[in-house]
Amino acid sequence: MVATVLSLIAWGMVSAAWPWVPGWLLEHVWWIPGVYLGYALVKTIVAPRWRYRVHRWEVTSDVVYTRTGWLSRAWQLVPVSRIQTVDHTQSWLERMFNVATLRVQTASYAGSSTIEGLDAAEAQRISEELAVRIGEVRDDAT
Amino acid sequence: MTENEEPGLPTGPGDSGGEVRPDYRFVPGALARSETGNSPEGGRGPGAQEPYGGGRGPEAAEPAPAPVPPPEPVYRLSPRSMMTAPVNLLKGFAVPLGVAVVVGNFNPWVLGSVAVAIVGMMLSGLFTYLTFSYQVGSERLEIRQGLINRHRRTIPLERVRGVDITSTLLHRLFGLAVVKVEAAAGGGREEEGKLDAVTIEEAERLRRVLLHRRAVLRGDTEGAGETAAEPGAAPAADEGTGEPGAAHGSPEPETVYFTMPTGWYFYALLSLAHLVTPFAVLAALLGLIGQVIGETGAAEEAVGWLLFRDVTLLIGVAVGTIVVLLLLMPVFAVVSYGITHWGFTLRRRGGALIAERGLFTRQSVTLEYRRIRGYELLDSPLERLRRAVRLRAVVTGLGETATRAMLLPIGDRARVEQVIEQALRPFRGLLIPHPGPALGRRLFRAVAPFAVLAVIAGGAGLYILAGAFAFVALLGVPLGVDRYRSLGHGYDGRRVSVRSGSLRREQAVVGREAIIGWTWSQSLFQRRSGLAHLELAVGAGSGGYTAIDAGFEESVAFAATVTPEMVRPFLERSPEPPDGDGAEGAVQAEEPEGPAS
Repeated sequence: MVATVLSLIAWGMVSAAWPWVPGWLLEHVWWIPGVYLGYALVKTIVAPRWRYRVHRWEVTSDVVYTRTGWLSRAWQLVPVSRIQTVDHTQSWLERMFNVATLRVQTASYAGSSTIEGLDAAEAQRISEELAVRIGEVRDDAT
Repeated sequence: MTENEEPGLPTGPGDSGGEVRPDYRFVPGALARSETGNSPEGGRGPGAQEPYGGGRGPEAAEPAPAPVPPPEPVYRLSPRSMMTAPVNLLKGFAVPLGVAVVVGNFNPWVLGSVAVAIVGMMLSGLFTYLTFSYQVGSERLEIRQGLINRHRRTIPLERVRGVDITSTLLHRLFGLAVVKVEAAAGGGREEEGKLDAVTIEEAERLRRVLLHRRAVLRGDTEGAGETAAEPGAAPAADEGTGEPGAAHGSPEPETVYFTMPTGWYFYALLSLAHLVTPFAVLAALLGLIGQVIGETGAAEEAVGWLLFRDVTLLIGVAVGTIVVLLLLMPVFAVVSYGITHWGFTLRRRGGALIAERGLFTRQSVTLEYRRIRGYELLDSPLERLRRAVRLRAVVTGLGETATRAMLLPIGDRARVEQVIEQALRPFRGLLIPHPGPALGRRLFRAVAPFAVLAVIAGGAGLYILAGAFAFVALLGVPLGVDRYRSLGHGYDGRRVSVRSGSLRREQAVVGREAIIGWTWSQSLFQRRSGLAHLELAVGAGSGGYTAIDAGFEESVAFAATVTPEMVRPFLERSPEPPDGDGAEGAVQAEEPEGPAS
């Protein structure tokens, strides 16, 4: 979509050849959509696969552990006893692929963890289990 | 009487042992007894006395729930608030009303309507007084308001987060104070109950009663309990069950940790913000004067008069004014700082720290120990030069932290540390410096953006601009080095400390129980040099503190030492037990169950 718009702009610039557009820019104007296309390819084809290889999660009885990212990575540990809310959401796209997102929130913005792309039934089961577990171990949670 | 008295008497909970009474809510004996006591309020009714002698049960009574004190009678605001409320209201309307009178050329109609407006405000004060009432129940605070549109706010005492007492100059003239009861509503929203205004004694009493009843409802024997920041060597008087004091109705024991020494007002000179404030005030004042002059048409006359004079004289006057202003700047700074921080005191009463300050408007913030998770030390390079530092508490669920969590004004580091030693639990460990590559990253961050700008400007032929950017880039070198030097994290067995920053260096200290999560994040560049940001999530203060560019493996071992139960299960090779030197544990564990994406 964006690539098409960029290509149109580039084509327009070449064909119109306004005098105020410097010549060196006109010569290489096709680089702009080209670079973007390369970026988009990486983003849509390489990144998700890479992410799939990196992303890990584990929910034990006491801690929710996630690893996310692809180029840069993040590891997160959230103790179950400090969890305030567990959100289980499924957008229309996620419903088409039968996956779901699990979001765990604590009293701090820095202690909130999101697990995307879980199997829907699995996410449902985990969120229920977590809810029960939170009830068992919950303290003041701050 | 005797059987009714039992739960209410100081010895009551101890005697009742493990016996569980179904309902402690209404104890006539306790109420009756308190009526015999001397009421500090004078005519404020029996509730002026805390009728919960045995409320803070001794440890022996641990299994039995502390008796919930009976509801207090319904109170009204102080009658004197009939004076302050209209005046406060009038302040907002004074300028429009004044303008109306002037513009209306003192027309009797305008004068008449202004008078009606003023009378209306007075009446509204009376009306508020007549319809406003509040009651501290056994489980909730109820505030009723309004005659036609009845409004009733109910705040469950368990949800009370703090009680703030503010007294403006006007209120103080009448011996009044505004009480704000802060409460956490269900969805995390802040709800407030505002009592505008009650007598200062009543405000203090309310604070005591509300905080105490909440503690009883939550089942704490002592308000402070097991929190991170409670002083290790707390004064013995405070740690007691409060039994004798409460039984005799005297206020809870108080310890003063700090009162502002005169010299400390001059620390305002170290703060750029305070140096600039007078100018903001001056600008506002000039704007106002300009407006008034513009309206009356005096401006033309003034300009005409000025043009008539010598131009050199005019310039001389302008320059002179600026010089005088610059000279006066420090004076203004100290004065304005003094007005807001006048007589700063920090003291402990029961399970709470109370910070009070202000010359005209006296502000008093109560921070309970059970909500304090730690503290922050803040300083700028200028302040470091004078060995000055600011102290702020890390508190759960506190809005406007910049002003309200302030425990001490800017002041001498040694004295601040002394106060921390007495009032809070200090961090006694050493900070681990971050590895060498972190220095490179700090320098790059500080220098690179301006260096790139300098190169671009140089390439475009703007040499003066390029020189300026190059100069700023050079300044980045000491800045980067200083930022690196301030980096560090440490653990002393109970508390974790993280430090970073240069122009605004911040060292945070939080108890290990306050940590509600760890996050490591590592960019591509950090991975190459084995560094990572380690962020510890805290459900208080700013929500998280980051150890910037810590050694990755070292930081994992660090987290495992602080909270082994949280981190250990995820380590491939568990480090040795806490004090061991197992610094090579790494989070590389590929978890077996993980059908991600």
